[in-house]
This record gives sequence, C-alpha cells and structure tokens, in this order.
Amino acid sequence: MKKLAQIVEKMHNRVRPLFERGGPLHVFFPIFEAADTFALTPDDVTPGPPHVRDALDMKRTMMFVVIALAPCTLFGIFNAGYLYNTVNQVEGATWITHILRGLRIVLPIIIVSYAVGGFWEVLFALVRKHEINEGFLVTGLLFPLTLPPTIPLWQVAVGISFGVVIGKEIFGGTGFNVLNPALTSRAFLYFAYPAQMSGDNVWAVTDPSTFPQGFTGATSLAVAKAAPAGSDVIAVLRDAGFTFKDMIMGLEPGSIGETSAIAVAIGLVILVVTGIGSWRIIAGGIIGTAATTLLINALPASVRSVAPHLDLPFHYDLVMGGMFFGIVFMATDPVSAAATTPGKWAYGILIGFLTVTIRAFNPAFPAGNMLAILFANVMAPLIDQIVLALHIRQRAAWKGALHRA
Amino acid sequence: MGASAVINIRKGLDLRLAGAPAPEIVDLSPSGTVTVFPSDYEGIKPRLLVREGDQVKRGTPLFFNKKSDAMRATAPAAGRIKSIAIGPRRIIERIVIEVSGKDEREDFRKHEPDTVLRMPRDEILAKLLTTGLLIHIRQRPFSRMADPSVQPKSIFVNGMATAPFQADPHVCVRGHESAFQAGLNALTRLTSGKVYLCIDPRASHPSPALVNAQNVETIGFTGPHPAGNTSVHIHHVDPIKPHDTIWTVQAADLILIGRLLVEGTVPEGRVIALAGPGVMEPARRYYRARIGESLEHILKGRVDTGEQRIIRGNVLSGAKTSFSDALHLRDNTLNVLPESRERRLLGWIMPGLDQYSQSRSFVSRWMRRDALWAADTRMHGSKRAMVLTGLYDQYVPMNIMTDFLLRAVLARDIEEAVKLGILEVEPEDFALPAFVCPSKMDLMGIIRQGLAQIEREGI
Repeated sequence: MKKLAQIVEKMHNRVRPLFERGGPLHVFFPIFEAADTFALTPDDVTPGPPHVRDALDMKRTMMFVVIALAPCTLFGIFNAGYLYNTVNQVEGATWITHILRGLRIVLPIIIVSYAVGGFWEVLFALVRKHEINEGFLVTGLLFPLTLPPTIPLWQVAVGISFGVVIGKEIFGGTGFNVLNPALTSRAFLYFAYPAQMSGDNVWAVTDPSTFPQGFTGATSLAVAKAAPAGSDVIAVLRDAGFTFKDMIMGLEPGSIGETSAIAVAIGLVILVVTGIGSWRIIAGGIIGTAATTLLINALPASVRSVAPHLDLPFHYDLVMGGMFFGIVFMATDPVSAAATTPGKWAYGILIGFLTVTIRAFNPAFPAGNMLAILFANVMAPLIDQIVLALHIRQRAAWKGALHRA
Repeated sequence: MGASAVINIRKGLDLRLAGAPAPEIVDLSPSGTVTVFPSDYEGIKPRLLVREGDQVKRGTPLFFNKKSDAMRATAPAAGRIKSIAIGPRRIIERIVIEVSGKDEREDFRKHEPDTVLRMPRDEILAKLLTTGLLIHIRQRPFSRMADPSVQPKSIFVNGMATAPFQADPHVCVRGHESAFQAGLNALTRLTSGKVYLCIDPRASHPSPALVNAQNVETIGFTGPHPAGNTSVHIHHVDPIKPHDTIWTVQAADLILIGRLLVEGTVPEGRVIALAGPGVMEPARRYYRARIGESLEHILKGRVDTGEQRIIRGNVLSGAKTSFSDALHLRDNTLNVLPESRERRLLGWIMPGLDQYSQSRSFVSRWMRRDALWAADTRMHGSKRAMVLTGLYDQYVPMNIMTDFLLRAVLARDIEEAVKLGILEVEPEDFALPAFVCPSKMDLMGIIRQGLAQIEREGI
C-alpha cells in the first residue's frame, strides 16, 4: 500500500507544476486538487496548535453518507428491475435479470445527476477559486433516489442544476445553504413537472409497445388516500398488495431508493454508529410521526369514517412513501438542520408532525415529507435562535446562582 | 486532608499518544549561556538597565517597564551580558548572558513559609514586581500578567496536567514542598476572596505538597482532558462574570514564587518535562534546567533523527519553535513531534486500522481501543467549511455552545460572543475540538482572534 501511494504521489508531482500558479492549466487547479486529494490524503502539516490532528476529514465523512446510501441504492436498482419484469411479464425473469434491468433503468439517472451536478460544482469552484466540496457526492446520489424510475433524463439534469445552483451555490456553497440541495432539486421537479413526478403512472418503467400510456400502479400512500369512506384502510391496502411486511421489504412502486424500510434502517445504523447523522433528529422525527398519528387516530369516529386513511397506525405512516428515507437521509443534513442539541429534537419532531399532518389533511400533496423537511429547513435557524436566547438567559441565571451559593 | 470537593468531568478526551515522560528528574548540565526574552513580559515597554559586557548577578535587574518603573525583569543566572539583540522598530528581542562559574546572587530576604501568611499584600507584590516573577500570576479574562492594582475575586492554582505530555506538577514540586506551601501562603495575602488549588485526586505520582496543601481550598477534578484546564476549574467553581477579575497560577510556576520567598533569591532553574514521540525513549523524562537554557543544549542527542517539530508546551496547545530558541520564563514542557508529510492512499475509504481517530468510521476505533499511537504533524485532510454540528460540544465540559460561540466570533459579533461565554475560555480549551474537527478548521485561532478583538475594543 505504502509503495503504491508513493508511486501515485510521484506521478502527481510530475503533473502538479502544470496546474500551479504560472502553469498553463492553473485555471483548473481545483480539479487537480480534487483528483490529487481523492487518490491520496494531502501532504499538509498542521500550521500551529493543535499540532496533532484526527485522521478523519470531510471526504471520509461524506463518503460514509454515500456508503450509508448504498443499501437503498442497491435495493432501488433491484426493485426497479423487479417492477419492470413483473409489469411487462418478462418470461424467465430471475433476480439476476431484475438487477441487470434495474441497472439499465437507474444507472443513467445517477450518472446524469453526478455528471450535471458535478459540472456546476466544478464550474463554481473554478470561478470562485475554492476547492471542490465533497458534499456534492451525497447530493448527487440522494437526489436520484427520490425520483420515480420513469423520470426523463433531461429532467434529472434540470433538477440537479436547480438544486446545486439555486439551492446551494448562490448562498455561497457547501456550509452556507439554507435548504437541502437534493430536496430543493426534487421539489423543483415536483412542482415544475408534476406529470412525471407524481400520480399513478410513473412508478414502473414499461415497454412502450405494451403500455403506451405507462403502467398504472399506485403507491401505497395513494392507495390509502383513495380508500372509500367507511372502509377499513388496512384491508384496502392489503387488497391492493400492500401488507405491512411488504412495505418494510419495499418491493413496491415508489421512488427509486425510498421503498425499502430495511435498506433505510441499514443506512440509519451506519449513520448513527459513525456519529455522522444526528440520532436526535431521527428520533425526533419518529416521535413526531408517532405522536401526531396517535392524535389523528383519536379523532371522532365520524370524521375518520369519511377519510379512512386517518385510521392508519403510526408504523404504517413511517414505512409508507418517502417518510423514513427523508427522516434518515434528508433531515440529518447538518448544514440545513438545526445545530443546537435541543433544536435538533424540535426540528425532528416538527418534521414528523408536519409530514403526517400534510398527508392526513391535504389530499393534493402525497409527498408530505419533502415539503415538511423543506419547511423545517427554513425554520431551523429560528429554532436555533430560540434555543440560543434561552441558553443565554439560563447562563446568566446559573452564574448568579453559583455566586449566591 | 485532600480535596474538599470533587468535581467529575465527563466530556473530553485523553489522547492515547505514545511518548509520555517517565516521572524521574535528572539534572541537566548547564551550557554556557542563558537567554532572556523581553517579549515574555507581554504588555510592558522595556527600558534596558544593562549594556553588553556588564557583569550581572542572579537577580540583577536587566530592564524595567517604562510604563511603571516598579516592574523589573531580572537575570536568571550570574555572568556577563554577552549580547543584546535589537530587532525591527528597536524591539529588544533577546538578552544573552554568558554564565560565569561563580553563582553570585542578589539578596531578596528569606522568609519562613509561616511568616509569609502575615506579610502585607504590598510587600509580596513589591517582591514579585522587582524580581519580575509577577509574570507567573495571570489574570482572566484575556490571560495577561496580573495587574497588581486590581483586587482579584479569587485565585486559582492549577495543580493538574491532563494535556498530553504536559509536565506533572506533582513531579515538578519534588524537593520544593515547603516553598510551594510558602507560595500558596503568599497568594492568600493577594486576594480578599478564596485561593483554590485544583488537583487530580487520583494522580499517579501524588505529592503531599499538593494533596495536603494548607490554607487554601483544595478542589479535586477527575475525568479526561480538559479536566485540568484552568478555564474548566474556574467555570465549575467560581465563573467569571463581565467585569470580574480572577488570577490564575500554574502550580509549577508557583514553586518559583515560593522559592523566591523562602530562599531569598531568584530561582536559577526549574523542572521541565521533555516528551513526545520525537524524543528518544530514554530521554523522555523530567530535567532540572536553567531558566533561559538553550534548546539546542537541552535537545542535542535526545531527539530522533529526521525532521522534527519542536514545541514549547504540549502537542495540543504549545508553540512551534526551533533549536535556536531557548527556554522561556514560563516554559515547563518541551514536546517533539516528527514532521510527517506521508500521504495515504484513498484515505476516504480505507478501513483505517493503522490510523488514530475518534471517529467510529475507522476500524482502529473498534479494534485497537487500548493502543498508544505515535503521533505526528499530519493534517490528514484539507480545510473545509464548518459542516458538522454538535461535535465540538462533546469536548468542552463547560456550559458553552461551542458552535455558536465560534460563529459569533467569525461574524465579529463581540456582544453575542461575550454572552455565549468567550471571556471564560482560552484558545487551549478549543484544542480538542480542533483536534477532532473533520473540516480541519483553526478553532484555537478563531478564539484567540475573538479575545484579541474584545480586548482591543473593550467589552
């Protein structure tokens, strides 16, 4: 390993002068820097105290979010292929053909997201003369996972461009953005191209010769909302093929990476154990979901019989739609979330509360979680300001008490 | 006896680094010269009292403060003034004394440790001013030399050393137990409030001088670093409010003040710790060295080959220096770290069994919890924007929201920074957050700059 590192270093040092000040390719220095430090950790030494530093850096931090997303990505690929083969009644389909088909559907979306988003990231880095931020590795993967598998590739390109430029770079780049860039991209597509982003026809890729209109396959969320008055929502879901067990597994119509609660849970464990995702936000989100659902479940029976989806128990709410995925991967983005410890709880609870409320009472937006998180992003600085004001008051009181003691 | 109260610190981290000093003291044979740095006396304008070629005794004043002529700096050894180096803008950079064989000294009158308890405040202060030893008594906020015209609310003596490779006062005090007590006695005369001595009740080499100290309130602090930082002690015992003044002394420095009182002369030397992975193993221990001794003399033959970083102080908060420097007045620790520019392949994805990290994304954090690591000066990453939140709080055991304090300083919002507690901290309190920061930010520099701005502009 050491030997290999030295060989790579020698190669890099040979081309380095081209990119340094005065070199013909100096404009592209951020690209060289990114490639160089991608292959090898930088050779910087600490400029002053502390003279020792931890081995962890931002690249590794962000890469672990990507690793945490891997189960969702892999399952999403499998699910997309599985749905294709099932809907089109492909003969002799096995799990291998599911995966191959899924790769053909999903990989182009991810590649376009990374390529177009990466272009903007690099362009801003070159113009602003700063390094290329690794946060993009996360955004570029998060965004495709929230899309339906039928999304046209040009919309992927437009969406990620909007998210990176308007959602992040105009605020000053990574660390300064108010909204989560991946969610900004998705929200933009959701409102700009609703036909390709929602409804019942977008969740399975089909062979146009057999299904000229696309395949009509509703998500569990849509099925629950459409349950006729007076019916038992659980039974309606079951009849449509959505048992609780199935929804945890995730072999169902939905956004590419969001359907499997198990895959999300694996990501959750990776994020929380490595300390990269805030467990407080996730716990707050689950508590908010549970508490709000229980309140809604307690509404008078006359109200609930009109809209049977109000009867959905909380563990259904958690695994349906993008809820769990959103709480684990979107809400925990540290830049757009609340930064104070009590604030993180409040922020998580707010997201859970808003998601369930939008789902229960606003039939126009099944994607309640996305809107809830974006709203909470906007509220996060306010939450922090309140916590800070209380902290300052408490500090003054504490000092006074210590002095009197 | 022992601590009257024990405060348990939970947040923090004891770095698991190899290279600690063995708790034994050896005498260092003196070299021919000692150096005095007027810049050690921050805030004073020195006017020279000697010229090159003059003979001085140990304790002879070398210069006084133009702003208040009571304050003097004295020679740490007897001999001849070999050179006075003047830098740009006529700043006196260093005064080098060629040490003569015979140890002549100025007499400052001896006292019994008990009689110090009855000495008037002014007499003690006058002694500290005319010998220059007042420099060891610091004043918070801003950590400057104590202003004798101010009555401090209380005085904190730091008898701990939780930072890696920091000289342990329990070792430094050996042989000077009664002088240390005399120093404590003197402090009780300087404040109408209390004198607190903060110690580790579970110290590995306890000295009775600290454990059984008299006439002061002894407070125990247990737990990981920074449990031994003065800011943490003050914060948990008697926090600074705006317009409060608190004096602080390192126990190792108080020994010098005590020796001045009981020996009646300016101490010729002190005990220093030499440690760190860049020091050869048998040389990692404590030395009795002259104050102002040249670093080259101390380090020669004791430091590993290869590029090494010499640090005055410890690896977390000390200052980078070189062989051509000398022991400054308040130095009691020298650390040496190998400079390493080694680059690791694909650091963002490797399991990292051979890397020291607090992050659980490294296998070493799981598999090699008890290992001691040979640290070096690698940055391990590039500077990035502040992204993670709540991480620094885990390493600052004070009622302070570190993220927001740092942001307030970066936004130059002094008022907010004061409300969030900047006057209670020192840059050294942000050494651990800076160590773990994955964005590789200069957190200590941010705090230093914030304190400087407040001092300049006033609260």
